[in-house]
Amino acid sequence: MNTILKIDNLSGGYAKELVIKGISLEIKKGDFLGIIGPNGSGKSTLLRLMTRVLTPQNGRIVLEHKDIFQMKLKEFCQKVAFVPQDALINFSFSVEEIVLMGRIPHLGRLEFESKRDFLIAQDALSITDTLYLKEKQIDELSAGERQRVIIAKALAQEPILLFLDEPTSHLDIGHQIQILDLLKSLNKENGLTIVMVLHDLNLASEYCNRLILLNEGRIFKEGSSEEVLTYQNIEAVYKTVVVVNKNPINFKPYVILVSDANRHNFQ
Amino acid sequence: MSPLLKRKILLLFIILLLAILWGIAKGSVDVSLVELFLKENRQILYLRLARILLAIVAGSGLAVSGIALQATLRNPLAEPYLLGTSSGAGLGAVIAIIMGIYRIYLPFAAFIGAILSVILVYAIARERTRIRVQSLILSGVIVSITLSAIIVFLISVSGNEALHGLMWWLWGNLQVYDFKLLLIVSAVVFMGIIAIFAFSQDLNAISIGEEEAIHLGIRVERIKKILILITSLISASLVSVCGIIGFVGLIIPHIVRLIIGANHKFLIPVSCLGGAAFMVTCDVVSRTIFPPLEIPIGVITAIIGAPVFIVLLKRTQRVK
Amino acid sequence: MRKSGAVIPLILILLFCDIRYSPAHQKLRIISLAPSTTEILFALGLDDEIVGVSQFCNYPPQALLKEKVGSFSQPNIEKILSLKPDIVFCTGLEQGPIVTKLRELNLKVGVSDPSNFRELFNSIKEIGRFVNKEGEADALIKEMKMNIDQINSKVRLIPKEKRVKVFVEIWHSPLMTAGRGSFIDELITLAGGINISHDTRRPYTYFSSEQVIKRNPDCIILAYMGRENPISIIRERLGWNSISAVKNSRVYNDINPDLFLRPGPRLILALKEIYKRLYP
Repeated sequence: MNTILKIDNLSGGYAKELVIKGISLEIKKGDFLGIIGPNGSGKSTLLRLMTRVLTPQNGRIVLEHKDIFQMKLKEFCQKVAFVPQDALINFSFSVEEIVLMGRIPHLGRLEFESKRDFLIAQDALSITDTLYLKEKQIDELSAGERQRVIIAKALAQEPILLFLDEPTSHLDIGHQIQILDLLKSLNKENGLTIVMVLHDLNLASEYCNRLILLNEGRIFKEGSSEEVLTYQNIEAVYKTVVVVNKNPINFKPYVILVSDANRHNFQ
Repeated sequence: MSPLLKRKILLLFIILLLAILWGIAKGSVDVSLVELFLKENRQILYLRLARILLAIVAGSGLAVSGIALQATLRNPLAEPYLLGTSSGAGLGAVIAIIMGIYRIYLPFAAFIGAILSVILVYAIARERTRIRVQSLILSGVIVSITLSAIIVFLISVSGNEALHGLMWWLWGNLQVYDFKLLLIVSAVVFMGIIAIFAFSQDLNAISIGEEEAIHLGIRVERIKKILILITSLISASLVSVCGIIGFVGLIIPHIVRLIIGANHKFLIPVSCLGGAAFMVTCDVVSRTIFPPLEIPIGVITAIIGAPVFIVLLKRTQRVK
Repeated sequence: MRKSGAVIPLILILLFCDIRYSPAHQKLRIISLAPSTTEILFALGLDDEIVGVSQFCNYPPQALLKEKVGSFSQPNIEKILSLKPDIVFCTGLEQGPIVTKLRELNLKVGVSDPSNFRELFNSIKEIGRFVNKEGEADALIKEMKMNIDQINSKVRLIPKEKRVKVFVEIWHSPLMTAGRGSFIDELITLAGGINISHDTRRPYTYFSSEQVIKRNPDCIILAYMGRENPISIIRERLGWNSISAVKNSRVYNDINPDLFLRPGPRLILALKEIYKRLYP
């Protein structure tokens, strides 16, 4: 009952090539799971396999006791939402219209949005602090504002499981913290299970309660940030020299990158 | 819906009604509105009504096809003839003329040409499990250019009559000879518009991205196929009866988006209104500017459409 | 050896004279790029002299045996040069750039673009002068004028009220007709008819169905061939069944379009055919 998503021996990729090779994983309710790994390790592919964008070649994915490929797509999307890395929208929808689209999984094709749908969208906007942007066009917003609106759209789906693909890579440090704090509070206070691909190891360390280190399509190490973020693991996977200390503020592992000039200190 | 929006839509509706009235009253023959209803002028009245019906059908059909293609291909430059229907129809018509086939079989030949052309475009672009939007666009462009070259070749070796056929196809024409055919085309286009409107939700989702649409529960590959099929049917029917009428399918969606935004639930019905009003207006101008000449409609749509679009675009740029 | 010394320069001089010799003593080499001019050339009695024609030159039958030098708008310049013509006949309007090109290559080009009978007769005279058949040209013109007068004398007997209103349909989609300034218009007038698009001063023009219905011609001539019965085609058009010509089944598509679309000697045949349809 505690497990939201169970993945069994998942393999898949694009065309015939396998990017993900046999991954098994259990995501528990209330998890804030971070997926880290070098470029090409398959992080985005794994997300796409878990959200039905790609069809796996092997393996099974079960959402709350139901095989996700036996569900109707809309039924799946009523429970699972996704925030992409960067949403480039060519058409001038208003912010409210964008967030309302999050209600599509709950609406029939010909159904119009009800008052309740508008209220849910309103809630999502206020949680993400984007209510003041309601009437603006989506193509007038800054990157940070746009990202918060996309998160609001995902929240309007009323998901129990939220996937994010590098949600902060295009944002400045102020906005990065703002988004991650928001996600943390949604996770803690609203019980939203979150699975997030991150490239910043230290942010992953601070915010996630579990980490998965991917390498070449397989899970290299899984566990808490202390268990995963060791210099042996990181050096083996990222093939670069690091030092792992303890962050004096949050007491979590803190990864320090070592430049070539300073490497002689650690030979 | 905001009151400002309601007022804009009402204005469009009034423009359409006025255009229709103008279209009935004015034509290449100078007859007053009252005299038009006399028995001796009845035929002229029927001709004008038929033309106006075709203009409404063509205007709204092209506008809505343009919208559907722009959203599906996520490309603001997409227009109804992008997937090869226009050159296919032209080739079908020219071949039919060269073979000496006239009368009702001419639009039929054009229609077959258009559909075969789309099938070719689709076959070239598709992959095993999906169809990529860029492939479709490239394939459409290449097939169009190739078929156009074949048309030019055929005309250069066959003489006068094929050349006349080219004129009709190239610049468009709203004259109506066959009322039954007009009714068939109207029915097809009308049903196509209703079907596209039914997919408004899907169009909204797809226009922000294919993956994003999947995450909202839209079966994207299936919807793409359906929408391409419907727009091809609309575009093929219209081009086989009217020839190429450019500009409408490309510009009307943009103009209406500038007025009421990108939500397809409103965009589609209002574009029907806008496309119809625009086309009826252009048709009246084409018939009355140099009587008894009737200027090909494609010329008028371009001449009127371009400045209107530029004015609207400049106005919104200033506001931003 | 002094004898041979005089022979060689003599031979050279004779050869030189041969090359610069006036073409009047040798057979002319003529190329015609316009079907109408081809018909005129054959009517002037030429045949062997014509070494090349366009692919659309199909009358008289002998023309079909001639070397083809390309289409009306895209003649093969290399082919033309290889045939070494003394003169190339073109039309002025559509073949304008070709005329320029040929003249650049130092070829003699004759251009003709008649838009009425007076210009046509002048054109035939000029062609006659180019090919040294002036006598034949005059005879042809005289014969054509005589035929026109014959028809004219019959037409003069027809009272004004009985003159037949005619609509000539050059093409159906888009609807096109011939207005004033075209041969068709002149033919109709000479045949005693009234061209309903006579007030349109353009020789080839779009026209509107409304106008045809309003002007109610007594007779409709289709300038294109077709296999179907012309009356049923026209009658099924929306609004056209009220036209007098349709009601009286006077719709004709059995005149060979080449007859009245080519400004040549066969215009007289076209005139006779039109007269027969107008006043049976």
